[in-house]
Amino acid sequence: MAKTLQERRAERQLMIVLLPSLLLLFAFVIYPAIYSVYLSFTNEALTGAAARAPRFVGLRNYTRLFNDAKFWNALFVTFIFVLGSAIIGQFVLGLVSAIALRRRLVFRTLFSSIILLPNAAPEVVAGFMWISMLAGGDHATLSRIVSFFGLPTADWLQVFPLSMIIVVNTWRGIATAMILLTAGLSTIPQEIYEAARMDGATPAQMFRRITVPLMMPTILLYMLISTVSTIAVFGLVYALTRGGPGGATELISIYIYNQSFTAYQLGYGAAVAVIALLVSLVLGIAYVRAAKVEI
Amino acid sequence: MNKAVLGGLCAILLGCTSTLVQAETLRLANHGQAGVDAMKSTVERIEKKLGVTVEVVEYPAPDKDYLSKLLTELGAGNGPDLFSLPSTAAVADMVEAGYLAPITTEINAWEGYRNFYDVAKKLAVSPDGETYVMPYMLGIQEIYYRKDVLEKAGISTDQPKTWDDLIARAEEIKAKTGAYGLLFPAGVSWGSGAFDEGFQHLIVGSKTPQIVTDDGKLDLSGEGVRDVFNVYKTLIDKDLMPVQPLLGPEPWVIPKYEMFPAGKLVATTCGSWCYIFDWGRESKTPIPDVLKVVGTWTVPGQAGGQYVLANLAGPWAVNAKSANVELAKKALLEIGSVETQVSYAARIGNIPASKDVAKDPEFQKLTELVPIHAAAENGTFLKQAAGFGTVAEGVARATDALLRKEVDAAGAQKILVDYVTETLGEDAMK
Repeated sequence: MAKTLQERRAERQLMIVLLPSLLLLFAFVIYPAIYSVYLSFTNEALTGAAARAPRFVGLRNYTRLFNDAKFWNALFVTFIFVLGSAIIGQFVLGLVSAIALRRRLVFRTLFSSIILLPNAAPEVVAGFMWISMLAGGDHATLSRIVSFFGLPTADWLQVFPLSMIIVVNTWRGIATAMILLTAGLSTIPQEIYEAARMDGATPAQMFRRITVPLMMPTILLYMLISTVSTIAVFGLVYALTRGGPGGATELISIYIYNQSFTAYQLGYGAAVAVIALLVSLVLGIAYVRAAKVEI
Repeated sequence: MNKAVLGGLCAILLGCTSTLVQAETLRLANHGQAGVDAMKSTVERIEKKLGVTVEVVEYPAPDKDYLSKLLTELGAGNGPDLFSLPSTAAVADMVEAGYLAPITTEINAWEGYRNFYDVAKKLAVSPDGETYVMPYMLGIQEIYYRKDVLEKAGISTDQPKTWDDLIARAEEIKAKTGAYGLLFPAGVSWGSGAFDEGFQHLIVGSKTPQIVTDDGKLDLSGEGVRDVFNVYKTLIDKDLMPVQPLLGPEPWVIPKYEMFPAGKLVATTCGSWCYIFDWGRESKTPIPDVLKVVGTWTVPGQAGGQYVLANLAGPWAVNAKSANVELAKKALLEIGSVETQVSYAARIGNIPASKDVAKDPEFQKLTELVPIHAAAENGTFLKQAAGFGTVAEGVARATDALLRKEVDAAGAQKILVDYVTETLGEDAMK
């Protein structure tokens, strides 16, 4: 059926409204992504002969990457980090906080503020603050706490580096999880809980049969956002460990930085970035499919 | 109408004036507040003498981050007109990238250059035979040791003759005092220091004292490289060197600023600046009578010989793509002046490259540096080549693996060779 003049005009207006956003999206997201793909097929560098005259090297960066144990290590470390801090740590604690804050608690406002507080500190400041808490020696906060209980102290960032960055990132991300999950919880009508209660359902049964299924779209949306954003975490972990010791906390983002700005190999760094982008894309599509959201 | 025309003319005039002013502005990138302070009077002199405006941009970051920022700007074509470089190792690569303007003609014609130590001049010459940097300051490094601690424990303070002798001394220190006997900077966290302040000291006295062949290729498979890593391995395995602090984010803080002043680390490589800034009058943890209680040894060779390492300290260069290359070169010669050298020596503790500085009354007040300056000509150095920045990173990675006791000396050498080969390609290797 042919579009009416009014419909065509409305479409044109819509395009005009969207155009600035599309231009910005193209300039700052799509073009850099395409350029990164181009760079990944070259030996472009920040210094040395390749900086003056970069060459097309075909798939060399990718074959090097798939044979690079450090790349696989970075991918593995990122997987554990995302699983530990975003999917388990932030989600569980965020959900607990969201449920707790729906009840009439004493000091509810204070409790909410405390949970939001980690987001108030810039990530590098937060990183340095955690260094002072987790450092070796008898004066560091965590060592003082454990020695109070008669337990041995340690240089926590050296002995348990990956666990520590998971803890720190969980601390930092609870607020976001809580806000999103609170919004999800508020969409569940109270009448359903009341009816279930009258039917004799226990709190555990109500959580399993009502809360979780009805919140599933919100949970999956949260998982999508937190997974993709946690894959891209850089500043907090870089300030804490710089990817060390010995690559134990070298996330894919830090690996990309190290290849591009420490080894100055922009082409190789771009190849790693392209793979990281693909991983994020695959996870994003998987979540969207699971949530049965139409995009 | 007339008003509009007048307004337009004013705007054009203003535009032309600002363009002219812009053309007469030189942008200098300096590393750290101390460097900016040291350049203050030089900047005023350049402005007065050359009739330009100098804009000083401070990049207050660790060496590695400073270099990354600088390279990114240069690569993007919007780098400063003049800039200081954190180490000699970066120069050859930057020359290959086309970032640095050659200054051979200007510097050789400049009267001040005749008084520079030969070692500085040699260090400034790039593999292509041209000079690209102003080698006005030298980093002179040796082993610094706690004379008081050794004397109290009845341990000889004589110059160790060989590597074995040095390790034996470190063992004796550990056995008699319980303190760590020797530190060579190592690991990824120390950045280029693992190479500049550690590896280089030993390789120059090894069986293969150069890592660059005559045709400019990197030769890292030599016996000397493995033997150097073996020294690290021995120090680490025998617990003669502090390991745990070196794996942290600021590895120099605990060993140099806490352990050494407290006598818990007795010997470490360091440069002339250590007498003033690490343990002297400008230190937060000064050692009383530092010149008396802290002595120096040259670094012994594997089978004898004595080596004092010389590097260019923060050499300055001109951006090849600067809009004011000729003006920037003139400003560069001012940076090479005796006055600037003394100013840097006072604030950073490096050694002026000009012999004339010895007569300067202001320099004579820097009593810690005077004897080191007098002996600076004897400095040893590695022949430079493109790829040294990558070698430095490879050494950091290899020594990091040694610190974590994951590899032996041969394994560390393999990490170094593999990293450099992967990064620079087979063509760059012998």
